[in-house]
Parts: sequence; C-alpha cells; structure tokens
Amino acid sequence: MHSTFLEFLLRRIVGFAAVLLVLSLMIFLLARVVPGDPARMAMGPAASEEQVQDLREEMGLEDPLPTQYIRFLSGAVHGDFGTSLISGRPVTDEIMRVLPATLELVLVTLLLMVVVGLPLGMMAARHRNGWVDTVLRLLSMVGVTMPAFLVAILLQLFAAYYLSDWPLLGRIDRDLTVPDGPTGLLIIDGLLSGQFAVVLSALQHLAFPALALALSGIGQIMRITRSAMIENLRRDHVQTLRSFGVPDRVVTFRYLLKLSSVAPLTILGLEFASLIGNAFVVEMVFVWGGFASHGLESIMQNDLNAVMAVVMVSGMFFVLANLVIDIAIGALDPRLRLKEGR
Amino acid sequence: MALLEINDLNVSFSSYSQRTQVLRDVSLKIEQGQRVALIGETGSGKSVTSKTILNTLPGNANVESGQVSWRGEDLLSKSDGERERLKGIEMSVVMQDPLSSFNPVFTIGRHLEDVLYWADRRAGKRRSRADRVTHIHDVLRKVQLGDPERVMASYPAQLSGGMRQRVLIALALMNRPAMLIADEPGTALDVTTQDEILRLINDLVTEVGLSLLMITHNLGVVRMTADYVYVMRKGVIVEHGPLEQIFDNPRTDYTRELINAIPPLYGASVKDQPVSSEAPLVKLEGVSKTFTRRHLLGASDHTHAVRDVSIDIPRGEIFGLAGESGSGKTTVARMVMGMMGATSGKITVDGMDLSAQKDGRIDRKLAQIVYQNPGTSLNPKRTVAQTLDVPLRFAGLDATDRAKRTDELLELVNMPRHFAARYPHELSGGQKQRIAIARALAADPKLIVLDEPTSALDVSVQKRVIALLEELRSDLGLTFLFISHDLSLMRNFCSHIAIMLRGELVEQGTPAQVFADPKHPYTRALIAAVPVISTEEEAAKPIVTQAEKQKFLVSSAA
Amino acid sequence: MSATSVSIPEPDAPVILSARRMAWLRFRANPVALIGAFMVITVLLCAAFAPWIAPYPDHAGNVIDFANRHAAPSSEHWAGADKVGRDILSRVIFGFRVSLLLVVGVLGVAVPVGAALGLCAGYFGGRTEFLITGFTNVMLAIPPLIMALAVGSVLSPTLINAMIAIAMLWWTWHARLVYRVAKSVAAEDFVEAARLAGATHWHILTKEILPNCIAVISVKTTLDAAFVILFGATLSFLGLGVRPPTPDLGSMVADGRQFLPEMWWGVLTPALGIFYATLGFNLLGDGLRDMFDVEV
Repeated sequence: MHSTFLEFLLRRIVGFAAVLLVLSLMIFLLARVVPGDPARMAMGPAASEEQVQDLREEMGLEDPLPTQYIRFLSGAVHGDFGTSLISGRPVTDEIMRVLPATLELVLVTLLLMVVVGLPLGMMAARHRNGWVDTVLRLLSMVGVTMPAFLVAILLQLFAAYYLSDWPLLGRIDRDLTVPDGPTGLLIIDGLLSGQFAVVLSALQHLAFPALALALSGIGQIMRITRSAMIENLRRDHVQTLRSFGVPDRVVTFRYLLKLSSVAPLTILGLEFASLIGNAFVVEMVFVWGGFASHGLESIMQNDLNAVMAVVMVSGMFFVLANLVIDIAIGALDPRLRLKEGR
Repeated sequence: MALLEINDLNVSFSSYSQRTQVLRDVSLKIEQGQRVALIGETGSGKSVTSKTILNTLPGNANVESGQVSWRGEDLLSKSDGERERLKGIEMSVVMQDPLSSFNPVFTIGRHLEDVLYWADRRAGKRRSRADRVTHIHDVLRKVQLGDPERVMASYPAQLSGGMRQRVLIALALMNRPAMLIADEPGTALDVTTQDEILRLINDLVTEVGLSLLMITHNLGVVRMTADYVYVMRKGVIVEHGPLEQIFDNPRTDYTRELINAIPPLYGASVKDQPVSSEAPLVKLEGVSKTFTRRHLLGASDHTHAVRDVSIDIPRGEIFGLAGESGSGKTTVARMVMGMMGATSGKITVDGMDLSAQKDGRIDRKLAQIVYQNPGTSLNPKRTVAQTLDVPLRFAGLDATDRAKRTDELLELVNMPRHFAARYPHELSGGQKQRIAIARALAADPKLIVLDEPTSALDVSVQKRVIALLEELRSDLGLTFLFISHDLSLMRNFCSHIAIMLRGELVEQGTPAQVFADPKHPYTRALIAAVPVISTEEEAAKPIVTQAEKQKFLVSSAA
Repeated sequence: MSATSVSIPEPDAPVILSARRMAWLRFRANPVALIGAFMVITVLLCAAFAPWIAPYPDHAGNVIDFANRHAAPSSEHWAGADKVGRDILSRVIFGFRVSLLLVVGVLGVAVPVGAALGLCAGYFGGRTEFLITGFTNVMLAIPPLIMALAVGSVLSPTLINAMIAIAMLWWTWHARLVYRVAKSVAAEDFVEAARLAGATHWHILTKEILPNCIAVISVKTTLDAAFVILFGATLSFLGLGVRPPTPDLGSMVADGRQFLPEMWWGVLTPALGIFYATLGFNLLGDGLRDMFDVEV
C-alpha cells in the first residue's frame, strides 16, 4: 500500500505554495497597477515632484513590472518586504515586533473556539429539539450574527458599568515590566521567567478581546458540530453498536466525537481568514498594538510596502493553520491515511 | 413457551400530522431452536417488525397496540434500559449493509472489544483485556476469519464486504445469544459470497442451537435458512406455515405470484430465447482496458479492468454479460457505449469503428442505456415529460411532434398518459425504470445496454419489467446487451451469455449449453451459489468442491 | 379454508404529497423560520417605506438640532438623539437602506459568478475543475476584511468600492458550495443519460444540474445576506463606507462610541438594528435549510 497520507500532505503543501504564489501576484498587481503612483501616494500631495521622483527610483518603480515582481517575490521568500514608506524601517522588523501580540490573541481565541464550541455543539445534538438544543442554537446564532466590533464595544460597555477595575486596553498593565522572553507571548514568557503577575495581567487583558474575537467562531463550530453529530447519529453504525448493547454515552462520546470533529476542524481552517480580518477590528477597539493594528495603520497611511507584507503574512498564517488542521484531520480519520487520498 | 411471540401488533408512522399504518395485527411466533423466515417485498413491514422487536424504531413510529413477548414477558411494557440489557445477551442482529455498520474511524477490534466489554458488564462478568481478546479471536475463527489479529487491527474500509459481513456475525455471536435476527444478510454482496455467508449462518444456528429470524425478500434464501415461513405484504401477514407448505401448496394468490415471479434455473418451466442468425451488430475483438493511477510518490498503479475480450452480439439478440463486482462487465458496457475508449483491441458497432470516433462519443442513435438504480437515473427536478423531451429535442423534433412522440413512448412502456406531468418521487421503482426505458427508446437506438435494470426492484415488479423488455425487443427489433449478476434471470432472458471473471471472459454460449454443462470451474461455482426455490433445481446444479469454491471467492475470508 | 384463495385486506394507499406542499408543511411547522421570515419582511418594509415610517424623515440628511444634542431616549426620541440632535431611530430605519443595497450589490454579483464557476468546475472536471477550485482556494486564503481595506484605501473609501471589494472575494463561498453539490449531481446517472441523449453542455448545466443546486444556493444566499450586512457594518465602522450624512448602521456605532459609556443609546440602537437584520436573515436561512434538508 502506498503511503497515501504522505502523498496527500505533499499535494496540500504544493497547493499551499501555489496559494501564496498567486496571492503575491495579486497583491503585487493591486499595489503596483491599480493606484497609479505609489510614491506620490506615500509622500502625499505636498511633496515636490523631485522628491517623488527620488522615491520612485529608490523603490525601483522605474523598472519593468516583471522585474519588480521578481524582486518582490525573491525578497518575500527571504522575509524581506523592503522598507516602510512612512517610518523608513524594514517592514519585516516592524511586523516581527507586533506579531507576537496577535499570535497570542489568535491562539487563545482558537483554543476558546474549540474548547467551548465543540462540547456545546455535542450537547445540542444529544438533546436535539429539546429546550437545551433550542437555547444553545439561539446562542450560537447570536454569536454568529454579532459583528466582532459590536461584541467588543458591548463588552467594554458592560465592563465599564459592572467591572470597573477590569483592564480594557492594551496587553498588560503599564507598571509591569514585560519579560524579555523567547516567544514574545506574554503568558508563556511570563511562565518561563516565573513572573506570575505578568501571566495574570496578560490573561486579564486577553479575556475580553479573545471573547469578542471567538464568539462568532464558537457559534459556527457549535452549529457545524451539532449538524455533523446529528448526521452521524443517523448512521447505521450507531444503530449497530446500540443494538449490541454499547451504552448511548459511549457511542456518543467515544465513537461519534472523533468522527464528528472532522467537519468543525475543516470549518475552523476556512474561517481562519475571517478571523484574521476580525482581529483587525478587535485590536483597534482594545488598542492591542498587534499585527492587525499595524496593518490597519499601514493601510490607512497608504504604506504600500507594509500593506503587501501584511497581506502576505496573513496569507501565510492561513496556509499554516490549514496545514496543521489537515494533519490533525489525517490523524483523526484513517480513511485519509489508508485509502486513496485526493 | 415460545421464545418470541408477537400478538396483534399495530404500528404506525406519523409525519406532519399524517398517520400511516405500517403494521396491521401482526402475529408471529418463534420457538426455541426454530428457524423462521419473514419474507416480503419493499414496504411490506418486515424491517419494521424486526425494529419493533429490537426497540430501534425511528422517533416518529408509534406502537399502537399488541404485545411482543420474550420468554413470556412483554417487552413493550419494559423500560428502554431493561430492553437494552437483553440485547447482545438474549438476542442479536446481523445487519444488511456491512460497511455502514461500522464506524469508519475506529478499528474492527475496537468495535468488538467494546461490544464484548459492555455485554460482560451487563451479564455481571469480569474478564481481563487479554481474556477478552482471546475470546474475540475464538469467535472470529468460528466465523471462518483465519487471521483474527489482522482483522482486529484493520479499519472497516480495509476489509472486503464478505469479511465485514463475517465480523458482523461475530459481533452477533459474541455472547451466545438465544436468537439471531438476520436482516437481509449478504444482499449487498456477490452471489458466491452471499452463499458462503448463508451457509455460515446455517451452520452456526445448528451448531450453537440458536433460534433464527431471517428477514429477506429472496425466496431462495428462505428455502436455505428456514423451517417456518411468514409472508408479509403491506404490513399484514398474509400467510404462514411450514416451509414445504408455503412453497408447494401456497394458500394465497399473493404467495403464488411471488413464487411464480422467480425465474427458474432448471426444469421444465425454463424459457429458451430464440437465437438470431443475423450478422453481429456489435463486435469486440481482443479488447483490453487498463486504468492507470498516477502517484506523486512511487510508481503508478495499473488496474487491468478488462483483458482480451472478444464478443459478437448478433442483431436482435439479448446478450447477457454475467459476473460479480469487479469482473469488468460494466467497463465492457461503457466501452460498447463509446463512453470510454479501449486501451487495445477493436470495437465495432453497426459497422462503425468506435476508436475512429471523435472523443469516443458515438451517435446516440446507435446505443442507449438503462441504469440499475431507479433512484438516480431520473432527474428529481424534472417531470416525466421533461425527461423524455431531452432526446427528442436534441434529435431535432418540433414541439408538436415531441408531444406526440412522448405519448407514444409512454404507451410503449405501458404507462398512462397523465404520468407525463409527474415528478420521479411520485413514481414507484418499477415505474421509474419504465420511464428510463422510454427515454432510451426515445433516441431510437439500435442497441440498448441494460445495466442490471431490475436488480433494485422486487421480483414481482422485475417480472413485469422483463416482460416489457421482451415485448419491446420483438416489436421494435432491438438488440440488448444485458449486464447482470442474476444468473437465474439471465437463464430465461438471454439468448447468449458470457461470463467474466477478473476482467477475463471465461465462458460463453447459449444459456441452455452453459447451464447444462458449465465448462469453467468458476461458472460452476457461480451457478451452484444461486439460491433456488425447489429441491429439483438444487439437485440439478453443478457440484462444486470446497477447494474449487475457495479459488474464486474474492477474499471473503482472510 | 379454501385451498385456492384467501382474501387479503387491502391497506390504505400511502398519500403522496407534492414536493411543494411537503416543503410548505415543513416550513410552517418551523417557528424559527416563521420568526425569521417576519423579521426579514419588517426590515425590507422599513427600507422600502423609510420616509413614511421614520418619525423624523428629514433627519436622514444634514439636519442639526442642537437643542436635542445627545438627548436620552424619551417619548419624543424613542431611541435618543445623536451628537447633532438627530433622531437615532429614524436614522437606523434609513440605515437599513444602505445595508440592503450592499446585500443586493454584493450577492447580485457574487452568487451568479460563484454558482456559474462552481457548476462548471463540478460538471466539466479535469483541467477546468483544477483551475477553478485552485483559484477559489487562493481567494479563500485572503482575509476579506483586509482585502476590502486595501481596496478602499488604494482606490477611495466609497460604498461602490466596498461593494466591489467584498464581491471580489464573496463568490468563493458560493463556488465552493455549488461545486460540491454539482460534482455529486454530475456523477448521477441522469446526467450521463442526458449526455447520451445528445443534450448540449448548456442544457445539462442549466436544466439538469442547476435545478438540483437551487435549494443550497437559496439557503446560502439568505444566510449570506446576514453576513454581508455584518461585513458592511464592520467596514463603515472602520470608516470605509458611505459618506456622511447618509445614515449607516456601522458608522453610527463608530460615532456613538466616542461618547461611551455615558450616552450608551448612541451605540445600542444602531447595534440592535444590525443585530435585528442579521438575526432575521440567519433565522430564515436556518429554517430554509431545515426545510430543504440540505447541508450548507
């Protein structure tokens, strides 16, 4: 038998590389062709024609487009996206500086989505059409229908009235010194350096942004888990095990959980793009100072080099997340490992 | 005291405030050690009866009255929990579809161990894991699975259909139940494997002293596996009695019809179709087909689906192509239709070389097809008239001619004209196949490929559809290529048959020749496996040794 | 008992209901769907008849009423007034117009494009399938909000540009969904039978496969209406939407946010407006999904 799972993974990696390649081409074209003169946009209308011309030459805008693209691509492969048109510092450095903040937020959000969404979805399926199901379905729908920025604002409003001491802005209390850890993630660095005050404060700061960001995902995962469970409950094999006397809860929690987590995981991968998008808004509301806030700033300031880097890094995030999810699904579902992979 | 006794059971289903009665005053009795068959066609209520016994009825079902007694105790008045406890210990079930009966993401061993563990718990037994595994190995050997360790480590998709069916039986035997309920076992499998499975069940029943409730639509299966028979129709038990009485001296017209609808394999009532002396319409010369799957890693896989097949189909004949799943018979048909090119060899239809045709598509006036599954062969969103309109419109007929021709076509397949406005879900399986036949006729083809057109239908419906096809052939001078695994049907319906095994043609001739004196051992094994309904036929079957049989069983046992 | 014939009682023939009647029965039996339908209809009516329904129709424009600046909810202004004294309720009612315009604009482009691509990929297979699904997967990797922001900042932040940016990515979801359904429908025997009967590709795509995808498309479109409203609100919250003074739910929230937590009504009323509209479409879509019994 061929190692079809390895082949499946290889196919996916090739596919993901293609995704990044096409993405780079698209963002390049958008940045170079659509707006007219990126140099003029960066300098603003007040700059003189000579200044703009200098910048054009510095940015290599005088070269033919294919040359520019290849330069952009080979730079991107080496993690070099040029210098920021606003601050003049390397774009990559700026992104690396703010990336850990967003990474921490996104990881906690993902954890929250799975840890809350999956069990609630299973509960709804087990009690389908009962009142538990109705309540949970309504809650998931509220989660899905509330835009992240509204949830963020409403949470702030709620905290302002009822939790007056709760920190609402930033990642950590100002009077704490941020540990100089290896990961940049405050929780982990705090734990590593033994500064529990940092960990506690970071968790406090994380709670509301992560909740605001996770709510729609929790709703989605609940919904998908529920329908996957209900779909699987109708299957013959559930009947088989039951009619041979395996108790209901064993059938549900052992046999169906594994089978029913494939669909929500797939959705999690697809929703990753909108999660990154929502992070932009939530970071803005909570003044998070992460990758997304940086991206929003760059977009607002027409810093095209930075915008291109932001889009590419988001794409990479998406691709990585989906690769991890594919591996997880492969581990869960032997059919992918054993049979013909697609 | 009877082991199981059902008295005046009434069950109805309700959906959207509509109530349909599915069981009407059903009474049934199974004594200790008795083998009882419950036979009926689609919608007869036989599965609902077994579900009522097992307490696995769907949520919208309602038991209105009656008793189901197990060793004298009424089951219906017991709680779900008490009924659960009977399962596995007292009664066990063998399901119909062996693949969907297993959770695809767990190993076979996991299923077996869990069932045994909970059965032990209910029985108050304590056993170590090692003891459980030993016990499972014993049971797997008992169902003739030679390599229990490998079976247990496999995922369901890694086993063959026959092996899965055996594992299902092993599951049922795990705790020496008193009664086995077998719901159409082996129906989804090939004839030879089905035969093996039925024999296995029979052996186990005698050996272990089980009672058996066999639920089936196949009278041949009933003859093999039952002593006492209940005949069901539309939720009512119409007749019951000992096996010989039902088969030799049926009291109701319905049972008689049921028996008469079965095409005989041997004997005086067998029909011989006329052999045509005309030139061949279809000619296959040394045709092979190889499928290639490319892999990113490692070498490509080659599957030789068809190897060096040569066939002549004379005009006006019904040419039968028999074989089990994976024998290549469908691939041959697709090549004849021009839907797939041959890797080597030459195919001519009506004097036209198919390989010379542009992208392998042949003129629709040459060949049309009737599919096996009436559920998917008609578009659910289009009415009968719209479906029949397609071939007519693309043949260039104008609206009035098309309407006229639609009426004619419906008449040809014996359907009332007003059916033109119906959607497929408003038709029965047999009616859908008639429409599919009408659609094939609409293109006015010379050859019609019949891809197991009746295998999804009840025998009584099958009989009428086959009669229609015979009539159409003689009236319209059609040629049929009939693909099937149903040898008794082919014996009566075909003028020539060819038998395929693993892509190769092993034998061909007129049915009379092939059945009277099968040359190839595989043909003999295949014929011997056909369930028949009389002792005379059984005696006329070729005798096959166990060793010969094993040679052709497609890995149904390890 | 006679040996020849025993009469068998004939049970009632099962009643076959037409597909439409079944669907209506299922829909009617579903209170969630009915509530959703009611909510959607009220939103549509509000948008259509805003000048007649709104208590202060002229407050949709550039009106300044300093006397009522930040007025709290009262009998005069049920939902309070904004920073220049305009009636918030009236502006929310008018705000539905912009939201629905966005829905029509985005889905009017994204649904047909996505469905057409999905159909072609599912039916033709081979290279067509590879190219379309590949392109769809690339587009799925782009965060739509970032795309909209990038387009908005590169061009100019107007409603039309926002619409273009959203539609540019939105079709992917429909393409994915229709592709999945079309591929399974295309594998059914009746499609092959139509081909053998000489039907053209166009006939097969539009008459054989598309009708089998309509249920999924309509459910997805209804659910999407909610997401487009939500998305549009997010964009205008970030300042990329309609220009003032045109009332828009997202920018109203952004305006009101500056005066939190004291003047909570400036945020809460438009927030409820967004919530009401998105919830309505979602409930309706959910009900339709149950009714058609499809996976979306």
